[in-house]
Amino acid sequence: MEGLVATGLIGISLGAQYALLALGFTLIFGILGVVNFAHGGFYVLGGYIAYATTTHLGAPYPVAVVIAALGTAGLGYVFERFLLERLVDDHLATLMLTLGLYLMMSSGILVVFGPESPSFEFPITGVLRGGGFYFPLQNLIVLAVCIVAIVTLYWLVYHTDFGRALRALADDRAVAAAQGLRPKLLFPLAFALATGLAGLTGALVTPILSLAPHIGDPVLATSFLIVILGGLGSVGGATVAAFIVGLIEAYSAVYLGGSKGALALFTLVLLMLVIRPSGLFGREARGA
Amino acid sequence: MLAVENLEVRYGGIMALRGVSIEVAKGETVLLVGANGAGKSSLINAVIGLVNASKGSVRFAGRDLSALSCDCRARAGIGYSPEGRRVFSTMSVKDNVLTGAHGRGKVAQREAWDWLSGIFPLLKERAAQPAGQLSGGEQQIVAFARAMSSFPDLVLLDEPFLGLAPVWIARISEAVRQMQARGTTILMTEQMARPALKLATRGYVMRGGEVRRSGTVAEIRDLALAEEYL
Repeated sequence: MEGLVATGLIGISLGAQYALLALGFTLIFGILGVVNFAHGGFYVLGGYIAYATTTHLGAPYPVAVVIAALGTAGLGYVFERFLLERLVDDHLATLMLTLGLYLMMSSGILVVFGPESPSFEFPITGVLRGGGFYFPLQNLIVLAVCIVAIVTLYWLVYHTDFGRALRALADDRAVAAAQGLRPKLLFPLAFALATGLAGLTGALVTPILSLAPHIGDPVLATSFLIVILGGLGSVGGATVAAFIVGLIEAYSAVYLGGSKGALALFTLVLLMLVIRPSGLFGREARGA
Repeated sequence: MLAVENLEVRYGGIMALRGVSIEVAKGETVLLVGANGAGKSSLINAVIGLVNASKGSVRFAGRDLSALSCDCRARAGIGYSPEGRRVFSTMSVKDNVLTGAHGRGKVAQREAWDWLSGIFPLLKERAAQPAGQLSGGEQQIVAFARAMSSFPDLVLLDEPFLGLAPVWIARISEAVRQMQARGTTILMTEQMARPALKLATRGYVMRGGEVRRSGTVAEIRDLALAEEYL
């Protein structure tokens, strides 16, 4: 029973991490109509910025996490504002641009930090034990930060002028612009928000899992899987799907073995695509 | 207030507007009437900046809008209610309305909401409901309110009666009168000339991307009603 509860808690913690990643991914798709192939790269970059800030600059880990989030957000802003913005309606061009950025980020990290995984560890260790459960403290801290970030993101999207403008642009860009909303200001900010979330997740999670130049691939694949399951462009769908994926991964890793867990996940997504092609909370078609 | 001169709009090889010139003075309600494909919506879209003009100019309050983007034109004081309503379907009624007042601060937004929900009680009753769930007439009210929430000097109404039952045409007409009572300048397009003529002070009859006749409502009535059936 203790193992069952502990696995569930790990699954929830994984789900929260995935939610942060997938929310950024789905925000970019929902608002800009861009599939960001560089999303995994921002996750990796966030991890390396945090690693370099703590190791080479001697900054405390929380400061490094903030710098990683701001750094990846800044890079995302510049990338959208000066490159992506010009071609935002050309799907093939945006695909090539984001894929190219990912390759550049991976190669750059490889050149600067080398191919080996650096020693980057979470500053707090230990296990929280209670009646019938145990939970690693590092996972608890990551879970808490992820939940605060998710709640903040929801507040931003659903309870601020900025979020209202982003939702309007996602719904009908032309009419939103004709109401005075500024796509050239808001699109880069939305992109920065999404890449900042990816960087934040990377800075939080890589000390627990692993840090290497090419770990962005599975991150991108998981983000894809979650947003397809939740419905492309749906913020609520991505959140729910992230926790479903997190729980399935955790339980299948313990009770079925890793590869069977991945098989279970992909079967679930395949079934979803057959039964409900638009995903759990997706709409049939995206506004122009 | 608005002066369009010699405007041309092309969609690829098709010329949608051929040297169109119109004027709208402050406080007027000017009607663009004509059959489907006459160029009415192209003219509205060229004024707000949703389509680019290949020739000619659009001046608003003495300012040339030609080089301005769509969002800049809206912020210059032009409200826009598009053909087919195009409300933000997943957003609540209140969020739809306040989108038009984006960036104007909480006080101005509250003022806009209080004013508009006072004129259109439907907005308050359905404030939290997704706009996509409303009927066509109700969505038209939301689109009006969204266009008005920035307290614009000029409002562009593109086919406000499109697809509506007579009862809603009467209600929408009343909403337009409310805008007029506030002194808002209106440029509206409408295929259904009969109810639209009751609201306008002047009008232009369009056909094939050109202005065929212009004048007071009395002067254009016969041609406008004939065009309605074309």
